[in-house]
Amino acid sequence: MPAVFSWAVAGADGRERARARMTSPEEVRPDERSAADARILRRMAAGERDALAELYDRFSRPLYATALHILNDAAEAQDVVHDVFLALWEKASVFAAERGTAFSWAATLTRNRAIDRLRSRRRRAELLERSLPADLGYAESEGAAASAEEAAGQRDQARVVRAAVAALPQEQKRALELAFFGGLTQQEIAERLQEPLGTIKARIRRGLAKLRGSLAARL
Amino acid sequence: MIDERQEETASLYALGLLEGPELAAFEAELAGNPELRLRAAELREAAASLAHAAPPAEPPAGLRARVLASASGRRSARILPFPSLLPWAIAAGLAVAATGTGSLYVARRSELTLLREQQRLAQLEAASTRNQMEAERIVHQRELADARQSLAEAGRRLADSQREVGQMRGATEQLRQQVEDASRQVAVLDRKLKSETDLAKYKIMALVSMLKNSPEAMAVAVWNPMEQQGMLKVTKLPMPAEGKDYQLWVFDPHYSAPVNAGVFQLDPATGEAHVKFKADEKVMTPAKFAVSLEQKGGMPSPHGPVVLLSE
Repeated sequence: MPAVFSWAVAGADGRERARARMTSPEEVRPDERSAADARILRRMAAGERDALAELYDRFSRPLYATALHILNDAAEAQDVVHDVFLALWEKASVFAAERGTAFSWAATLTRNRAIDRLRSRRRRAELLERSLPADLGYAESEGAAASAEEAAGQRDQARVVRAAVAALPQEQKRALELAFFGGLTQQEIAERLQEPLGTIKARIRRGLAKLRGSLAARL
Repeated sequence: MIDERQEETASLYALGLLEGPELAAFEAELAGNPELRLRAAELREAAASLAHAAPPAEPPAGLRARVLASASGRRSARILPFPSLLPWAIAAGLAVAATGTGSLYVARRSELTLLREQQRLAQLEAASTRNQMEAERIVHQRELADARQSLAEAGRRLADSQREVGQMRGATEQLRQQVEDASRQVAVLDRKLKSETDLAKYKIMALVSMLKNSPEAMAVAVWNPMEQQGMLKVTKLPMPAEGKDYQLWVFDPHYSAPVNAGVFQLDPATGEAHVKFKADEKVMTPAKFAVSLEQKGGMPSPHGPVVLLSE
């Protein structure tokens, strides 16, 4: 039985439509926040430990929330986030802003490591039949109180993303949720949702395309 | 121009859902297609932004210090599974202080703390490795069991197939026997038909008595033109006189005179004869048979009285 997700966010009207993003090949135009993140990574590459603290303040909430959402285990989520920041610290010198944003890099690292752990845990306990964390839903009020300017910035970004996600058709949201947080393969997602594989691929394509358009327009 | 298939594959790629040959093929396509590369990067950004859609959760306060302590402890690429290294930083600070003050006691205590921490980390790392190995062992056991089951299943299928082949061979042998039997029957029937056809060519004639004193005497002559031989059965004919023999003649339109078919002897007890005979000439269409009483040993042509004659 597929889990029930609640991505709904207050204020998300879902009516905004993506505007075409005019960029030339080989160029991903970063916004100011992304540019600031890139500068922080360059400082980290130069060995500035303060820069790591700054990046932690900017990224730790969404990364920890992602790891916790995937693993449903606070201790394991902490280990993942810890490992990710150490990896960023040690590999900051190889970061190339033209290939993607720092947040994208960090979020991908977090998601992949969390899913690796999830799969390892499933194998270990042979829990393939019970693959998803029990609590995939959330209430907006459960979030921790903001304590810094970075936190406010991250919350703004999160709000925009959630609004964009909330505007997606339900079946596209569920396919994306299982793909990003569930650690399932294409086939497993299709089996979980009891739909043909081609339908799942199409839902993921449409959902991600809409999300890309929405975020390009809003962020 | 990016088509729908490329867009779909790029989406799956962005979400880490491509594997094996599919992944390799797409990465090869990416390498030669800058536009697709840009689209894949944008989709990866969109996918990564989903991290913001996770239910909000505040990281524990201690995590920040733990990360910073780990970062200051080393710059190598090695990442420890349980990197609670804050004590390292404290110990390092104490060591620096000891050097500054020249306090050997503090320095040694710091060294001891460092060593204990190192030992604890090594133990944790060993425990983690053990857990991982145990997990792998369980997985491998499961895979081995699955493989054994597959092997047993394959063995069962092979046995079934061999049984089927055996049954088919048996059926084939049975069919071969049936074909042989049928061939034999056909041969028998063929021979029978041939003999029946030959029988139709036989000439069979009854000979009646020409004797006033033995009107009941009679004979049946059968002539096989294919084998040029015949059979004669005589009944109730009186015994010939001394120095005399009965002689059989065949009349054929191809010859102007009767053809000699030889003399025959009667059984004295029954007055009957049942003999095979042959003609001196080739006879294909016998018109009549006749028996005459001739000199002992027979004559080249009939001279005596006719005693039996076919109708």
